[in-house]
Amino acid sequence: MDFFEAQERARRRTGWLVVLFSLAVCGTVMAVYAVATVALHLLGLRPLTDLPTQFWYPDLFWRIAASTLILVVGVSIYKTRAVSASADAIALGLGGRLLDPNTVDPHERRLLNVVEEMAIASGVPVPTVHLLPQEPGINAFAVGLDASRSSIAVTDGCLRLLSRDELQGVVAHEFSHLLNGDARINVRLLGLVHGILVIGLIGSAILRSLGRSSGGSRRKGNVGGLSVVIFVGISLYLIGSIGVFFARLIKAAVSRQRELLADAAGAQFTRNPAGLAGALKKIGRFSRGSRILAPRAEEASHFYFSEGMARITALMSTHPPLPERIRILDPQFAGELPGGQLEPVALQEEEIPGVAAAVPVGHRISLRPAAAVASVGALGDQHIAYAQSLLAQVPQRLRDSIREPWVARAVVLALLLDGKAEIRTAQLSALLALGDANLAEEVSRVAGALRTCPMEARLPVLDLALPALRRLSSAQCGDLRAAVDRLIRADSRIGLFEYTLQRVLLRHLAAHFESRRPPERPQIEVREASSLLLSMLAHAGATDPGEAARAFEAARAELSPGRFQLTLLPRDDCGLRALDRALDRLVETAPRLRGEILGACVAAVARDGKVTIAEGEMLRAISDSLGCPMPPLLPGEHVQAMAKPAARTG
Amino acid sequence: MALIVLGVLLLAVVLLVSAYNRLVELRNRYKNAFSQIDVQLKRRYDLVPNLVETAKGYLKHERQTLEAVIVARNQASVAAQRAAATPGDAAAMRDLGGAEAALGGALGRMFALAEAYPDLKSNTTMNQLSEELASTENKVAFARQAYNDAVMAYNTGREIFPVSIIAGATGFVEARSFEIERAVERDVVKVSFA
Repeated sequence: MDFFEAQERARRRTGWLVVLFSLAVCGTVMAVYAVATVALHLLGLRPLTDLPTQFWYPDLFWRIAASTLILVVGVSIYKTRAVSASADAIALGLGGRLLDPNTVDPHERRLLNVVEEMAIASGVPVPTVHLLPQEPGINAFAVGLDASRSSIAVTDGCLRLLSRDELQGVVAHEFSHLLNGDARINVRLLGLVHGILVIGLIGSAILRSLGRSSGGSRRKGNVGGLSVVIFVGISLYLIGSIGVFFARLIKAAVSRQRELLADAAGAQFTRNPAGLAGALKKIGRFSRGSRILAPRAEEASHFYFSEGMARITALMSTHPPLPERIRILDPQFAGELPGGQLEPVALQEEEIPGVAAAVPVGHRISLRPAAAVASVGALGDQHIAYAQSLLAQVPQRLRDSIREPWVARAVVLALLLDGKAEIRTAQLSALLALGDANLAEEVSRVAGALRTCPMEARLPVLDLALPALRRLSSAQCGDLRAAVDRLIRADSRIGLFEYTLQRVLLRHLAAHFESRRPPERPQIEVREASSLLLSMLAHAGATDPGEAARAFEAARAELSPGRFQLTLLPRDDCGLRALDRALDRLVETAPRLRGEILGACVAAVARDGKVTIAEGEMLRAISDSLGCPMPPLLPGEHVQAMAKPAARTG
Repeated sequence: MALIVLGVLLLAVVLLVSAYNRLVELRNRYKNAFSQIDVQLKRRYDLVPNLVETAKGYLKHERQTLEAVIVARNQASVAAQRAAATPGDAAAMRDLGGAEAALGGALGRMFALAEAYPDLKSNTTMNQLSEELASTENKVAFARQAYNDAVMAYNTGREIFPVSIIAGATGFVEARSFEIERAVERDVVKVSFA
């Protein structure tokens, strides 16, 4: 199953969830109505007249239906929005803390490195990392509505008791949730369950308020009324509990299936099922297992890496049984997990992968559309090794300090500096004009450090900077955008690569700092948008019109026939502003179509038989703009090897 | 009628709960923002003794100034610890602001003295350390800006109706921003050896 299929399935599954949830809400409405009529009968407010219709009062029904619906749907939407507004909310709610980016604790450093490597290898911005310091069990989870707003949290046990391979397996499992859109469904599920839960909460609130007030002020004659209120309270509580029970059944069933997929993907990403299996075995052997102790643990139970709570029945489990998960990864597993205590693993200084793996600057990549599209959301161990070698080429000092907002901001601006000296000078004086001399100084310092970075490390450097940028205040973020704007204006001609770099940055910052996307959808047809994007790419790599036409033809051939008629636009009609709108429109389309368009982009770029690093990075940035994280492009042979269908599983 | 009253009550509860949650989030944000300052302050407090140690060899006759730097550094370090335990607390933030201003002033005097010692000015360790210190100062200032923005968002958030009804009752007191008043000395710290 490739990335686009997984995305389609995730969408369909969300549709099913809405249907199931609607059924649950209908049942809840009926139940609440039944309770209300019975209560009114008991109070004698509705006389028992003619039998067949005595339980049907349309006016009452509609009122109850409307108020229940508004309540349940409103609370669901509220909860979903509250969680998605800040991916950190769940981790903080469970007693988590943001991992200090400059930590000297070797275990924490190791975790940060593993997460960064995995993010670079899969082509997504580095997520924020949280630690749950009060949780001795081994567990982890990922939250995120999209790539720009995602967060990974691990327990203290996970941090200290697992070896690097095991930790990498766990992180890969969580990344698969992020890449497959599972984390998104999980947020929805959380909201839906919460909506039904509210009915029960109201019931228990009624009962509790009675318990408090009935002590002193119980008057005679009111006993009948009181018992009706008690009846209503208990009934609402029961309805809520039953509703939540069913909602949890749904939640658990959906979750169990996706955990197995994430295990498979995690093993595939690292090409090392033993790591993931080892982590699961440690959970099985560890007396504390994967238990989460925080009071609100149940709420997020379907996010966890492994079962977070004690379950009475297998039906309510959000995860498949441990032995089953281990056996899938390790067929030799006999099923015995001797219990006991685990010791924290001893760590040496984090090893920096050798520069031997590094690729010489200026190499060319050969690329096939099918292979490139298949790689989206499906990284392999070679990508992780490559990410490690890329990171090794970023100067160590820069790499350490990029986790600080102050430096990260300068890195972003330094990436936008032009290669030509005179434009650079103009850009730096534009920065100075903003009135912050320290900023301009820092930017030129960072630019010096970046000079030794190879071209293909530039997008990864931006990905590394993003977690620190998320910690800017919104005023600071606004200043940064103004500075980015200045830099781009100072350079009268903007290259396609600079453009895409800037676009990736602004897209991820906007997603984080604006709680919702801009409501208006760009006024451009999908056909027009695709024509524009592909024309642009065809012209970008071509030296004469004939070559551009051939590249465009190759791109057109990648789209399924009869999809729509594409026209090659003249070079002058391909403005960057128009491209912005085109990309904004295309990211809204169905995953399957986006996959085809991405394939067409690759074909347009690869038509001349070679892909330069700048072209490759631009492709990745466009892919990111289309919401499809593409792993770094590997030097020639690896790309070819990856195209073999046998290399992909799951 | 009873239903309408119930509906209004429910709506009020939902509104209050969401207002409460929003306050919690805003408070978390400024607390997180303070921890960023804290990281940089600690680094600064680690740098200062090294700086004084290096300068000692040259500024033999300026013991008082150097001791004043160390005293100010220790006081600031204590104040920072207290502020980190209760970020936003009015007294703790004021103390930290005062201690930081004193440290900035003491450092400024030390650098001003160092101007008169060419050997010290050309010392590589001293140059490295003072560069590191200047860079850390920038980071502190930037993190402080982020913290003050977050505090302002929180303070505005808790004064808006209907949040203001529950803010006081549920323990959301006004947070204080982190100000360092040393307009004059600041420029002195900026003295560059390069």
